[in-house]
Amino acid sequence: MKRFLLLLLVTLLGWIGYERENLWAFPDIISAYTAKEYCSCRYVMNNDAEYCRGYVKQWLPTSDFSDDSASKTITVSGMGRSNSAQWQNERQGCRLHP
Amino acid sequence: MCKGLSLFLLLISFTVQAEQWPSEQWPTGPKVTDTEALESYAFPPRDDATRQGIRTDALLIIRDGQIIYERYAGPTREQTPHLTWSISKSLMATVLGVAYGEGLFKLEDPAVKFYPPLVKHPTIKIADLLHWASGIDWQEDYEYAPLKSSVVAMLYTRGHNDMAAFTADHGTYAEPGQAFRYSSGDSNLVAAALKNIVGPQRYPDYPWTALFEPLGIRHAVWETDANGTFVASSYAYLTARDLARVGLLMARDGRWNDRQLLPSDWVTFNLTPFKGYKAHQDEAVPGGQWWLNRPADGAAAPWPDAPSDTFAALGHWGQALYVIPSEKLVIVRYADDRDGSYRHNELLKRVLKAVRP
Repeated sequence: MKRFLLLLLVTLLGWIGYERENLWAFPDIISAYTAKEYCSCRYVMNNDAEYCRGYVKQWLPTSDFSDDSASKTITVSGMGRSNSAQWQNERQGCRLHP
Repeated sequence: MCKGLSLFLLLISFTVQAEQWPSEQWPTGPKVTDTEALESYAFPPRDDATRQGIRTDALLIIRDGQIIYERYAGPTREQTPHLTWSISKSLMATVLGVAYGEGLFKLEDPAVKFYPPLVKHPTIKIADLLHWASGIDWQEDYEYAPLKSSVVAMLYTRGHNDMAAFTADHGTYAEPGQAFRYSSGDSNLVAAALKNIVGPQRYPDYPWTALFEPLGIRHAVWETDANGTFVASSYAYLTARDLARVGLLMARDGRWNDRQLLPSDWVTFNLTPFKGYKAHQDEAVPGGQWWLNRPADGAAAPWPDAPSDTFAALGHWGQALYVIPSEKLVIVRYADDRDGSYRHNELLKRVLKAVRP
């Protein structure tokens, strides 16, 4: 039994090692997706704010959503990470901040 | 002499009259009258809370260069530049076609010639990228495998600053040009290659100068990554009426009024099935960044109720630009379908029934 648990632990650690890049990046998805797609919904497609909040809604929760309409910058937190997207210009629309 | 010339001009103007083209506005033709079956499918009562079912945002039907049906729903209007998602891939191929017409590259050129970070994959040709057959080990699935999804990582996390470099950094699973695997990465490598094909000076304006302006498209948006590369996989925005202009260009073999904007052999390449495609690998048969309603690898045509010359640009959540040259039809459908219940064949069947006298 002990051996089995040890094997399981080694396998799990191996998997974490193998997938570390993907695992580390994963929590950014929800806030980055929400910030970018809300920005484009609101400032590229020119839909209203309420519609765009519904449009980007996913099964994972977000928090601290802010839309600074002067700079057209959206900042969103979720899963312990924060991401922002900003409208650039008439042709290039929105982009995530690096 | 003068009389002869004016008669000649008169004759020319009659010829031009015979073929309808949009100028600033689209001409309108005889409206489709029997729309009930079409609308009951495309526009059922819309539920913005559950987001279930078919949720069409726009449906525009052009026949013979004239609008014969147009309806908008949800927040979308005639003026809305709607997100096209993967229709962008076909648009980038069309932009690239103009560069091809300038003689700036050949389909058999190695992509690394124009995008040096592909040095790890030196034998990929431009044609392979356009066939989604780079052999790069890419994972397109996202909603069911977000951890492993290359496309989610490219758009939102590890790849978003430089999407082409992120793609080029992947390994290989097959010889280039042999096997089809749908890849947003391949499409963004095309966008990165275009930068050196036309040169970095022309690149930022190239989609506008090469394609949008000649077609009279005034309100196109194309988002870039932080490196300035167009997100060819996903992020072009056009009004339904403007997207239909690209459809009409393709329906008429790359010609816009009297100008052959895309070489005819480019359009032929776009509309030729990729030989390495296996039956049922995707929802339609891939050509050069366009989707074809053609029998392939022993399987029947994917949309049995539509003519076999039907082709399309397709995007996530139900975006579609369908072109049926034999019926002189161009159909734009924008949507926000979240549950995958929408069927291309069903819509095409009902459109064809509605427009046939």
